[in-house]
Amino acid sequence: MATTNRAPKLKLSNVSKEFTAPGTGQRTVAVADVSLEIQSGEFICVVGPSGCGKSTVLNMVAGLAEPSSGTIEKDGVPITGPGADRGVMFQDYALFPWLNVRDNIGFGLRHGTPGKELSRSTREERVGHYIELVGLAGSENKYPHQLSGGMRQRVALARLLANGPDILLLDEPLGALDAQTRLILQVELLRIWGETAPAEQRKTAIFITHDIEETVFLADRVVVMSTHPGRVKAVLPVDLPRPREETIRAEPRFGHLAEEIWGLIRDEAYRAIA
Amino acid sequence: MSSAAERQHAGPPQPSSLQTPVLQRELDATHTWQGPGGAKPSQITRWMSKRGVIAIRSFVIFIALWWLLALWVNRPVQLPSPLRVAIALGGLIAAGEVSENALISVSRLGISLVIAAVLAIPLGFLMGLRREAEAIIDPVVELLRPISGIAWIPLALFIFGVGDILPLFILVYVAFFQILLNTIAGVRNVDQRLIAAARTMGVGRWAVLRYVIIPAALPTVMVGIRLAFAAAWAAIIAAELIGAPSGLGFAIEWYRELLMSPKVFAFLVVIGIVGYFADLALRALQRWLTPWAQGTELA
Ligand SMILES: Nc1ncnc2c1ncn2[C@@H]1O[C@H](COP(=O)(O)OP(=O)(O)O)[C@@H](O)[C@H]1O
Ligand SMILES: [Mg+2]
Repeated sequence: MATTNRAPKLKLSNVSKEFTAPGTGQRTVAVADVSLEIQSGEFICVVGPSGCGKSTVLNMVAGLAEPSSGTIEKDGVPITGPGADRGVMFQDYALFPWLNVRDNIGFGLRHGTPGKELSRSTREERVGHYIELVGLAGSENKYPHQLSGGMRQRVALARLLANGPDILLLDEPLGALDAQTRLILQVELLRIWGETAPAEQRKTAIFITHDIEETVFLADRVVVMSTHPGRVKAVLPVDLPRPREETIRAEPRFGHLAEEIWGLIRDEAYRAIA
Repeated sequence: MSSAAERQHAGPPQPSSLQTPVLQRELDATHTWQGPGGAKPSQITRWMSKRGVIAIRSFVIFIALWWLLALWVNRPVQLPSPLRVAIALGGLIAAGEVSENALISVSRLGISLVIAAVLAIPLGFLMGLRREAEAIIDPVVELLRPISGIAWIPLALFIFGVGDILPLFILVYVAFFQILLNTIAGVRNVDQRLIAAARTMGVGRWAVLRYVIIPAALPTVMVGIRLAFAAAWAAIIAAELIGAPSGLGFAIEWYRELLMSPKVFAFLVVIGIVGYFADLALRALQRWLTPWAQGTELA
């Protein structure tokens, strides 16, 4: 897929991000010189140790932060701010504490651009659909503070999907789920992304995770980042066929790929806990 | 009514749902987390009855000490015994004097809280959202804020004379700053991630204000309203004592001049009780308006 000569959906060119601490004026380079071309319909996974700048990259693509240098383009146009075309699922969910599950999921449809042309009943139907999808039926009227971490995460996922963005930016979206729910939602996520649809109908996804097997199961390409400063260390194509079934995890190729990725981050992972 | 800790409340309560403890993430997704409000009913009743017992005991000790002190001082005009005060209170209630004056004072308080809120909340939002507005208005606020409402009474007497306007003016003045400062703090401390989330859903500026910033700041604004009530209730008596022809403060002054101290004390008791119940009502309002901010509610 990376070999097509179409213009990339997303193009990051020499993107760096520096933070300056307000008090001391001390500078941290969070992201250094990241260049990456993502094709329309690609599923990209990003792995790397904590603090290597994964969330920062995602925020810049979302338009919530500006690169200190370099450019980010979507369909050849520089990104100048956030928009509903790039939906974000935040690492800490960012749910609205005063809204119940249903209203959190329907927030963008009700107050944002995604629901502009939809009738009220269509919006409600869509919200109901995603409540079912993430398995929150029965909890529609609960407030975020009444939910477990895993349930909150599913609300955030449903909220993102209900807005129907064509680029999905997911920051450790399944991290708080128990292992079983996680496997189910991985398959579900691939379906929503468009795994069974022709490639040109798929959404574009950037998926941050800590879980190496998750990257192999989901991704077309895996971006491995390293820390201090945050750089792209390697980009690995995952040459496993789609649609991916659960059984793929048992195949030797799956294990080889996971092994290879682990090899790339092992040193830093050990250094981080040493 | 309000403790020192409550007065010093600086930051707004953080929405508890946004701070997920790491351990809690590991909880199974189907398991609903039971917060502090999720304790078993039997535990709650036991705890309540325990608190109730402690409260009654403290109250009884207080009355006993008062009585002993009254016996020891032995000058009923300066310190009447609890019994005399209770009898006086009974008489005043029967004569309708308590309800009449309490109603007047509470209405004054309610009206002035509404006026103060209508003035201070929009101004607080403006100052919280726009640095320029804050830079211009804040110096005036900081200059006026340390001047207590009571200090304005002599000047207000010149301007308004004795009447209904004077206590309203003092109360609005006192309540205004509490609401203003808490509103500014509430707006400033809105979780930026929530605004970011809304913006990535294509929500426009006004909708972000209406549907994110206002509800996010509301718990802190409510704290301001309760602090404003406490400050205004403390000031109302002073304002009515001097500047009004009616109300609880006026009644106290009236009976002081007649040297009827049991009645003066009876009205003091009324002030305490009415204040307590008004605060309970405000708390109920707070719970109703901002149910998600339960855990952060001030004691
Ligand atoms: N708003 C910020 N201000 C200052 N430093 C930041 C900010 N956001 C992130 N950083 C720093 O940038 C680095 C990368 O952070 P982040 O992108 O969150 O990493 P990751 O998501 O990979 O764990 C970290 O060292 C972090 O401390
Ligand atoms: Mg992160």
